[in-house]
Amino acid sequence: MKKAYNETWVENLYILRKASKWLEKGLLSTAQMDELKISFPEQFYRPGIFVKIGLFFFGTIACSFFVGFASIFFLEGGSGQSFSVLSIICSASFFFFLEYVIKNRNLFHSGVDNALLYAAASCAVAPLFLLFEDAPLSVYLIISLLVLIPATLRYADLLAAAVSFFLLFTLLANLMMKFPLGKALLPFSLMILAALVYFWVKRNKDVYYLDCQKVLEVLSLVTFYLGGNYFVVREGNASLNALNLRVSPQIAFSSIFYTFTTLIPILYITFGFKKHNRILLIIGMLTLAFSIYTYRHYFSPLTVSQELIFVGVMLIVVAAAAIRYLHVPKHGLSDEKEEERQFANLEAILVAQSLGQTPQENGIEFGGGNFGGGGAGEVY
Amino acid sequence: MTIQTILQKLVENGIISGRQTTLIADYELKKPFSIHWELRSVLYIGILLFSAGTGIIIYENIDTIGHQAIIAIIATLTVACFFYVSKHSLPYSHDEVKSPVKLADFVLLLGCTTFLALEGYLQFQYNVFGTRYGLAIIIPTIVFFFCAYRFDHKGALSMAITGLASWLGLTIAPMSIFENDFTEGRLLVTAVILGSMLVGFGWVSEVKKVKKHFAFTYMFLGGNLSCIASLIGLFSQDLKIVYFVIGLGLTCFFVLRARHQQSLIFLLMGVIYGYIIITYSLFTLLGDEAAFLLSSVYFMASSVGVIIFLLKFKKFLGIKNEKSI
Repeated sequence: MKKAYNETWVENLYILRKASKWLEKGLLSTAQMDELKISFPEQFYRPGIFVKIGLFFFGTIACSFFVGFASIFFLEGGSGQSFSVLSIICSASFFFFLEYVIKNRNLFHSGVDNALLYAAASCAVAPLFLLFEDAPLSVYLIISLLVLIPATLRYADLLAAAVSFFLLFTLLANLMMKFPLGKALLPFSLMILAALVYFWVKRNKDVYYLDCQKVLEVLSLVTFYLGGNYFVVREGNASLNALNLRVSPQIAFSSIFYTFTTLIPILYITFGFKKHNRILLIIGMLTLAFSIYTYRHYFSPLTVSQELIFVGVMLIVVAAAAIRYLHVPKHGLSDEKEEERQFANLEAILVAQSLGQTPQENGIEFGGGNFGGGGAGEVY
Repeated sequence: MTIQTILQKLVENGIISGRQTTLIADYELKKPFSIHWELRSVLYIGILLFSAGTGIIIYENIDTIGHQAIIAIIATLTVACFFYVSKHSLPYSHDEVKSPVKLADFVLLLGCTTFLALEGYLQFQYNVFGTRYGLAIIIPTIVFFFCAYRFDHKGALSMAITGLASWLGLTIAPMSIFENDFTEGRLLVTAVILGSMLVGFGWVSEVKKVKKHFAFTYMFLGGNLSCIASLIGLFSQDLKIVYFVIGLGLTCFFVLRARHQQSLIFLLMGVIYGYIIITYSLFTLLGDEAAFLLSSVYFMASSVGVIIFLLKFKKFLGIKNEKSI
């Protein structure tokens, strides 16, 4: 699939980003950096996040009212057919605009192009849904994938990649559910597909898809874990078989799932540290938390407050010990701030949102439960 | 694209020497993996869980522990926090003062929160302030304002502004503004005035260079409040022209501010609020039928117009510098 955005510029952008890190560390001189900027130019229009939000917002409005405007000419009959024609025409014009703004305005995931892409893809899929009325779910999924995957390859859009991933897994689940054996093997098939997706995107060397790659890595790691998680499998099994029991029944091969639930987070974290892979590390920590939740859901001897204190103390001790231990970088790990916080100003506003609720006039907010000290942790 | 290919490209372009290549490659190979934010997050989640757990346990056993003991604990904690902060603080200055101790910011915030909890507890249990609720709110507000300026803390400042607003019966936190009962005309007027005054105060502190990094907090909180209040006034009140002028004035101020200020969030606020105000006023003037006929063309044309403005806002506003958040 031919790429929509200027590939050389994407690569140059990546080189410049790396180089500016080296500049910070004093590995490059300012003169060299200036030379670099001349040798590796990029002209993308990349506004700040807030302008992007505004562009996306107004882009969406423009697209929806364009459809409304175009419908004046088409919906005379009001039949499904004229709706399909309208949809296809809108989709074509959105794609045309999209290509136009990318070529002539040098947009690069700047809000307008995102809005246009989503509008175009939705309009492209809509008539096919009308065409295959009452078709099984899998047909719709395949049609949507046929639009979204090429769109992802061409525009490297994050949402398109994520939705494609979601549709692919829904399709697999949908197909597996058709057979009795498939239902039993569903967790394993999801895990296998997730692993395949992970190792497939890992092979990507193209900077163009770097962000998409990250999104898909995160999604496939999470899916792989959830596919093997005891809690998910047990509760999922109960709801799939429509067992309305108060406690969902024990599942077959439970020991395999116990092992998965314990081992996968540990593996993620270990490899995260070993390969210096932040995605693996963070997903590992989050899945570990979910594993602990799974364990306590079925076996915990403690009350909620005791658990909170126990886990809280553990986390504080581990983090504080690690911070102290990594005072000087050891084993290839460090506790140095790499990037400054970009939104320090907005964090202060969050404080007002979460902590600043002074006692209300009616006095209801006063109360023994307001031990607000912990709330501070959310922000700082 | 790997580091090796990048370095090769740089060498081919004659930007770096072979020796530098090995240096950089060596750095990339050996650079430590920073887990700074991960560790901080774990620490703060730990504190959050721990204090939630302690809170529940105290709440469950309040009869055995006794109120005095709890008040004593909270009071000690509050005093300890403020003591720690003042011990490690630098002298006051009109400029930004960065605390030399990493933890000080966090401790001050903790102190402010426990101060609130303490006051709430006293009122709840012993009715210290009786029915003088205003007093109960204005005391922490004053304390927070003092802390914000003395210890240079934006978090304390936004807590103080929140307190000031709730002293006037308003909720100012951005996500909760719609919890205000704006059907009451008096409250609406208060909101518009307070918001505009906060914006004005932020502007003055910037011009006079008194803690000018506080301007963002003042303007953001105040601006949101007064813009939303004037929108609602425009929709529901009789004196539409007043709210129209105030709202449009504020949005123009925000859009023009993008020229001076790096942060473009005000540009976004100005554009969105301004768009709603102008659209609403235009449609009210035209009447329902004409508005219905024109709506799809209007929205399409106007949003394309806004997009073009946002794409070229630097040119329109005469901004030269490249860097902006």
